[in-house]
Amino acid sequence: MKISKRFKQVAVVAFGIVLLAVCYYMGIRYIIRSLMPVDAASEESSSHYVVLVAKSTEPNYWKTVFAGANVAATEYNLTLSCEGPMSEEDYQAQNEIIARAVEDGAEALIFSSIDYNANAEAVDAAAAAGVEVVVIDSDVNSAAVSCRISTDNYEAGKMMASAILENEADELNVGIINFDENTANGQQREEGLRDGLAEDARAQVAGMVTVISTEEAAKEATIGLLKENPEINVVVAFNEITSLGVCYAMEELDAGDEVMAVVFDSNVTSVGMLESGAVDALIVQSPYAMGYLSVECAYELINGIALESDAVDTKTTVVTRENMYDEECQKVLFTFD
Amino acid sequence: MKKGKTGTKISLSALMTAAVVLLVTLILVFVLFFFVRLYENSITNNSVTSSEQAARQVVNTVESYVEDMEEYIGYISDNITGAFMLDEEMREEFFDLYMALRSEVVVVSIYDEETGLLSCWSGEQEQKEKSLLLQNFAYWDVADEEEISISKPHVEALLESYYPWVVTIGRSVVSSDGHGYRIYMDIRFSGISSYVDDVGMGQHGYCYIVDMDGTLVYHPQKQLIYAGLKEEETADLKNLEDGSYTISNVIYTVRTLENCNWRVVGVSYVDEMITDKVQSMAGICIVLLLMVLLTAALVGGLFSWVLGRPAKRLTNAMAEFEGDAENFHFEPIEGAASEITTLSESFGHMVVRVQELMEKVRQEEISLRKTELNALQAQINPHFLYNTLDSIAWMCEENRSQEAVEMVNALARLFRISISKGHELIPLEKEVQHAQSYLKIQNYRYKNQFHYEFDVEESCLPYLCNKITLQPIIENAIYHGIDRMVDEGEIRIGVHEEENAILMSVEDNGVGMTAEQCREILLREPGDRSGIGIKNVNDRIRIYFGEEYGLQIFSEPDVGTRVEIRIPKRKEEGEYENK
Repeated sequence: MKISKRFKQVAVVAFGIVLLAVCYYMGIRYIIRSLMPVDAASEESSSHYVVLVAKSTEPNYWKTVFAGANVAATEYNLTLSCEGPMSEEDYQAQNEIIARAVEDGAEALIFSSIDYNANAEAVDAAAAAGVEVVVIDSDVNSAAVSCRISTDNYEAGKMMASAILENEADELNVGIINFDENTANGQQREEGLRDGLAEDARAQVAGMVTVISTEEAAKEATIGLLKENPEINVVVAFNEITSLGVCYAMEELDAGDEVMAVVFDSNVTSVGMLESGAVDALIVQSPYAMGYLSVECAYELINGIALESDAVDTKTTVVTRENMYDEECQKVLFTFD
Repeated sequence: MKKGKTGTKISLSALMTAAVVLLVTLILVFVLFFFVRLYENSITNNSVTSSEQAARQVVNTVESYVEDMEEYIGYISDNITGAFMLDEEMREEFFDLYMALRSEVVVVSIYDEETGLLSCWSGEQEQKEKSLLLQNFAYWDVADEEEISISKPHVEALLESYYPWVVTIGRSVVSSDGHGYRIYMDIRFSGISSYVDDVGMGQHGYCYIVDMDGTLVYHPQKQLIYAGLKEEETADLKNLEDGSYTISNVIYTVRTLENCNWRVVGVSYVDEMITDKVQSMAGICIVLLLMVLLTAALVGGLFSWVLGRPAKRLTNAMAEFEGDAENFHFEPIEGAASEITTLSESFGHMVVRVQELMEKVRQEEISLRKTELNALQAQINPHFLYNTLDSIAWMCEENRSQEAVEMVNALARLFRISISKGHELIPLEKEVQHAQSYLKIQNYRYKNQFHYEFDVEESCLPYLCNKITLQPIIENAIYHGIDRMVDEGEIRIGVHEEENAILMSVEDNGVGMTAEQCREILLREPGDRSGIGIKNVNDRIRIYFGEEYGLQIFSEPDVGTRVEIRIPKRKEEGEYENK
């Protein structure tokens, strides 16, 4: 009886000491941790790996996307890798890049699809591996996409149409230079253009060529199209590279006065052409915002922050010779280095 | 004191724990609310100071930068009509050198007020053909006066395939021959950006430059702002004087440059600098508080273990002692604090001492009473003796010698039995004889005013009883009952055996008593007239035989009185007789 009571007392005291020690240890550890500089804590968390897969790496458009994406990556402390195939038709190379990114432990994929259907499988596989998918610029046929950030391509096509309809000529015979038929955004833009032109009886599509996305091919195709269909007095193109081809063709044919050229995206050359009169209007997207927002979106997805919306339309501006030096157009056309 | 007032019992340990916790809580709350405020203020002041210093640094740099440009424009304008302008070779050499040295200068251009662009230097960059120029004269009105003025930021439009963002510094000059010229320098931001971008203002703070209208001139994140991804509330700053403003956790430091219409705005966040630290301090304080609470609780528990529990045991022991002092047994408390042990020991000593004293008092009381009784028994009422002797003398004079002899014999027996060799307890037989002798004497004296009879069971006679038990009761019956009667009185004395006791009874048919008188008679001390009071008889029986024995009086006024005396059946003298 007495021994057990003694034992009980000792047990209670021992328990008390252990409890005390544990509580004090935790308390002191908390205090030390609070007193440590904040930097140490943030350095601990290794930065997340995000891969941006573009259609191409060379055009000014994509370089601007990368610039915006890199700024956001720095701001959100992400490791960003911007990649793309050599040519804008090589969807297989894109699929390979995606597969490699998944292998390398990418947590988010920012993707612009060359082929709406052929890229779907690779994207689905990446999503199945737990990678968050954000689409920019051009859509892919996948249900795994969490967010789409791009120009409203159909609307951009319509804007192009209304820029053409500004022309006061009696007849507007439009020649279309488009790129890969399997690419979603090019098709959407063309659709928007056709619907826009249909609103005016003066306008009709007089010819159309689909080319691979190189300046050379686009230039040849434009010259060919204009020669075959001399009635054509408006030429359009839907991405930066083919637009450049159109620009060069206009310059070579010295057709700036007779033929109206309305093309997509801007770079130093096309702006120079606009100024010189070879090209009449540029449909300028917001690649910088697209890059920045896509990385921001990837950050939110990785950290489980709820997205404000699963589709963001970035701004599109029509720039002509008359308004190119307006304050707003300056901001759109020329990046601030 | 407190305990008495409130009536609630507060234990020592709880009081101590509460005191410690209260004290520490007060101190920590004080620290939290006072020092944290102090700390907060000093950090805010520090950050305002450092923000102002950073802004001043930027202002100085940009000012001296602008000053450089002014000097340069001043040099050109001083020489615009002199040899410098005329000597083309020298001029080209000068500009080539200058453009090479100052890479941020994109274009230097001179305009004639009437004919337009006169000449233009752009270093390595190719200029556009004049016919192609979509001249951007948005900044034309910049240089109306002969003072330096600076345009809003714009894109350089004079160059082939090169469109950097620039500001234009300009000035108009009137030459000595009255001809008007304008001199412009387009400057990229690269010269300013390195200073503005690198200025450190907390973790996320930055500086930017606006002009007087609130238009952004330079911002480290200008491209984000141009792309519509960020906003900077510059409009609100337009009307602010130079100084520092804290608007909802953001410190804005505004400074105006002295030599141009630009203002430098420093932005730093109070939140990130202070809130984190204050929060971590508050966290530390709370953890400390919890630790102290825990410690206090444990220390309190320890105190209660060491001090409170034994104290409580001592208190309980005292209460128990208060209730039953006689049979209390105290076990000293061990293993407690020395104060408590000392208290316990003292209490133990006290208990023993009190119990000794109590026993002593009891013994003394008993022996005192015995002595007293013995003394009383020795006394015979002197009146009774004188009267009896008077009666005997009178009988002798009347020659009633036979009666006199009987009286003397009765008196002698009375005394003999009264003394009984000092024994207290005598056989009932003797007691009955004693009573008979007394009644015989009284019957002579009262001239047969009453008659008496004895009804004694033989079996009772050997049992012991206190001596002089019946006589005081009979005396009382005669004096208070029979004496006052007109009729003949009657006294019956009985001794009967009960199951466990002997019942003696004295019954008279006298005047009787009220219930009150009956009670009183058992309490009254004996007076002069009577030798041994009824109370004494009762007391003696109880002392010798215990509380359950003694007298009972039944009486009714005008009917009579019956006194019953109950004693145990005892044939040997008890312990008291030997004492």
